[in-house]
Amino acid sequence: MSDTEKTTQPGDGPDLPDSTDAAGTGAAQPSQEPSPRRAWAQAARQATDDTPAPPPMNPYMAGVFLGLTLLASYLILGAGLGASGAFARLGAWIEHLVLPARVEASAYFGPWFPAPLSYYLVFMAVGVFAGGLLSAVAGKRVRLMVERGPTATRKIRLIFTLIGGVLVGFASRLAMGCTSGQALSGGALLLTGSFVFMGCLFATGYLTAWAFRRQWR
Amino acid sequence: MIATLYSTGQLNAPIGLACALALGFCFGLCLEKAGFGSSRRLAGVFYLTDMSVVKVMFSALVTAALGLVAAERMGAVSLDALYLMPTILGAHAVGGVIFGVGFAMGGWCPGTAAVGVASGRVDALVFLIGVVAGSIGYNEAFPSIAPLASWGSRGVAFLHQSLNVTQDQLVLGLTGMAVIMFWFSEVIERGPAIARPGVSRLFLAGFSVVLCVGALVALNVPRIDLPLAPAKVPATALSPTQSAPGATPGDAVLSEVQTGRDHIEPLELARRIMERDATLTLVDIRTKQEFDAFHLPGAQNVPMSELPTALAPKRGQGVIVIYSNGMTHPAQARDALARMGFGNVYILTGGLKDFFEAVLKPASLREGPQSPETVAAINKARSFFLPAELAKPATPALLTPPGRLPGLVDAAWLKDNLGKSGLKVIDLRPQPQYNSGHIPGSFALNLESLRGNVGGLPSMLLPAPLLAQHLGQMGLTPRDLVVIVAGEAPHDATLAAMALERLGHSRYALLSGGMKAWSAAGLPTDKNLPKASPTRYPAPDGPDGFTVTGIEVNAAMAGGKAVIIDVRPADYYNGTKSDEARAGHIPGAVNRPFTDDQADAPDGSKRLKPEADLAKAYAALIPSKDHPVVVHCRTGHQASQTWWVLTRLLGYTNVKYYDAGWTEWAARPEWPAVTTQTQEKKP
Repeated sequence: MSDTEKTTQPGDGPDLPDSTDAAGTGAAQPSQEPSPRRAWAQAARQATDDTPAPPPMNPYMAGVFLGLTLLASYLILGAGLGASGAFARLGAWIEHLVLPARVEASAYFGPWFPAPLSYYLVFMAVGVFAGGLLSAVAGKRVRLMVERGPTATRKIRLIFTLIGGVLVGFASRLAMGCTSGQALSGGALLLTGSFVFMGCLFATGYLTAWAFRRQWR
Repeated sequence: MIATLYSTGQLNAPIGLACALALGFCFGLCLEKAGFGSSRRLAGVFYLTDMSVVKVMFSALVTAALGLVAAERMGAVSLDALYLMPTILGAHAVGGVIFGVGFAMGGWCPGTAAVGVASGRVDALVFLIGVVAGSIGYNEAFPSIAPLASWGSRGVAFLHQSLNVTQDQLVLGLTGMAVIMFWFSEVIERGPAIARPGVSRLFLAGFSVVLCVGALVALNVPRIDLPLAPAKVPATALSPTQSAPGATPGDAVLSEVQTGRDHIEPLELARRIMERDATLTLVDIRTKQEFDAFHLPGAQNVPMSELPTALAPKRGQGVIVIYSNGMTHPAQARDALARMGFGNVYILTGGLKDFFEAVLKPASLREGPQSPETVAAINKARSFFLPAELAKPATPALLTPPGRLPGLVDAAWLKDNLGKSGLKVIDLRPQPQYNSGHIPGSFALNLESLRGNVGGLPSMLLPAPLLAQHLGQMGLTPRDLVVIVAGEAPHDATLAAMALERLGHSRYALLSGGMKAWSAAGLPTDKNLPKASPTRYPAPDGPDGFTVTGIEVNAAMAGGKAVIIDVRPADYYNGTKSDEARAGHIPGAVNRPFTDDQADAPDGSKRLKPEADLAKAYAALIPSKDHPVVVHCRTGHQASQTWWVLTRLLGYTNVKYYDAGWTEWAARPEWPAVTTQTQEKKP
């Protein structure tokens, strides 16, 4: 892993001299080059280039396609897109491996048994992974690495992302959905709760992001 | 109208899972193409360096919202066919706050992290491990945070309703705001070394116009009446166990009502309660008083007005069953909840009334024969659901005297049990005597009203349906313990007993010594008339199994095996006295006058002789307990006593009752008759 990471690091943009570029898009660049020399050359080009390569698609058009996917989901499934539900189901399944009786008797996970994974959102998450994989492979954007700022340590980044994941996992259950299942899917239906969720999400995100900025430096 | 998989309950069926997989694939493709396989790009939104999240999210939101508004206004899809998440202000606000921190910290959200893992991002994998752990943490914390999870429940609330604007205004406002946000994003992104997608002003201007025009079009599409797609309800009836968050069959309330999918049958509910089904939430919406008197185990008492709040944590969680005594209120509550997005609410078919009838009614009161398995299941359910004192194998409040039934009871026992429910005392004395004082609560019954002319034969015990109707007018039910009180003659009591025997009613006893014993003991009497509401006493089908006709007796006589006992006084048997067409008796019949079975008690009442004496006397006449025996007298009155003594006291099993008796036999000259003189002439 570390080997792979080393060879790919130039393309990640951490070597950019201007580290104020907190969210440089270098990571998304199609830079998995067959030859190390070309990769280095590209990294060098980037390092001197103030305008890194754009994301693979115009975000507005990506948004329109995403919206059409969501619309199709509503018209076919009758339910929106969602992601966190699958991971909660996975959590229920994993907890069941360890404490079967406790989980089956629990108030929240309990009703999902006996088959917590035969659930449409679990299959949707598998689809998300497959779709992401296909697109990333086709665009040569697959890179094994810990994405972080140029001077940030891997450790700090992983600690932050782990805690962030725990908070997101918990909050997604409380709010009955995440950015996709609650904010986007519910927002498209003009549901009040989804806009409340979205408002609180972005408000606290902006308020607290400053505290976590070091992982992107 | 599109019948969505959610509305047909197929969301988690193979077709639903396949569609979800395909849609997820497109979803992942879009996220990756938007550049969301990178946490730095995602986190950039919070540092105002890369606003892709806002651009993608609001483009998608507005696109889908316009599409949904248009589809609904065209009549292509009904909101009932969509899974509408309820608004729970507390849960959404607090969830949003925590989510915001987690998003800023982790740089991922669950969907994008899945794409991140596909793109090889280790931090995405670690983030997802955190999401899984956080979900488990939520499950563990759920019991203590359940109030928060339901705090501020508003049911399904639309933003335009909450803001008190029209849907058109909201959609236009939202579109406008999205456009403004896009331009703002492009402006603030501009800065040194900021990675921006190559979007020109021209493109953004065009996109803004397209969105606004799209909004106007979507809001003004004409309604097109599409043919109703046939609902693809799966052949296998949808079991409530399949219900899960977002997957419950909860689309068109009316179609569910029509198909009865909103019901749960009493037996199914009983099974789930007895198996302590953790997915079951049982709600009793009766008054607290009724709830305290009796409720199903595990039920919570929730007034109807508080249902949405109380049930919010259970929305989409397992199966919610609402019950009351009947079905009207639960049905109304269920409809209201379904419209608030509760897809997992069921009502108990027939309410508690049907539950008692189907689950708790004792086997002994059910129509038709019950298999031992059924009886065992009923008894198990009874001991589970009913308080201990009611759940005993005997039916609730079933009064049973000491000794066997049918049998004899004494005055002291009757006095002690007087007034208990299920006890019916029947007084056979003539009305003047009854009117001037009777056992409190006893019913007067004219013995002769049980007999009549049947097929030309006088003084026959009436057929079962007439007896059932007759006794039903006194409020008799099959559960009742009947105590028959004669003036004093035991054969009066036994004649009434024959009527009960014909009905198959074995829960009766004769009061030893009759009214005379009661009075002699100085027990209380009164002159009040009892109250009773008539019942429909079930009449048994077919013959009673113990009454035989003259033709059958003739055959028995000819066969010579059966013991025919003529219970009339000896002079009638001998032929020296006669009130009939002919004097004498049936050839071969033995005489055992019914009076020989009676004795005077010390209190002056007439009673049956002690069992031991009777057993000895009859053992001399009848070879064995299962030997065929026919008893008769003149009209069936006296013979009822002998029949009763033989079968109910002494345990003879094959005793037939020739009801028509000598009245019929004597009137049929073709049937032989002998007097003692002629018999003595025989060698």
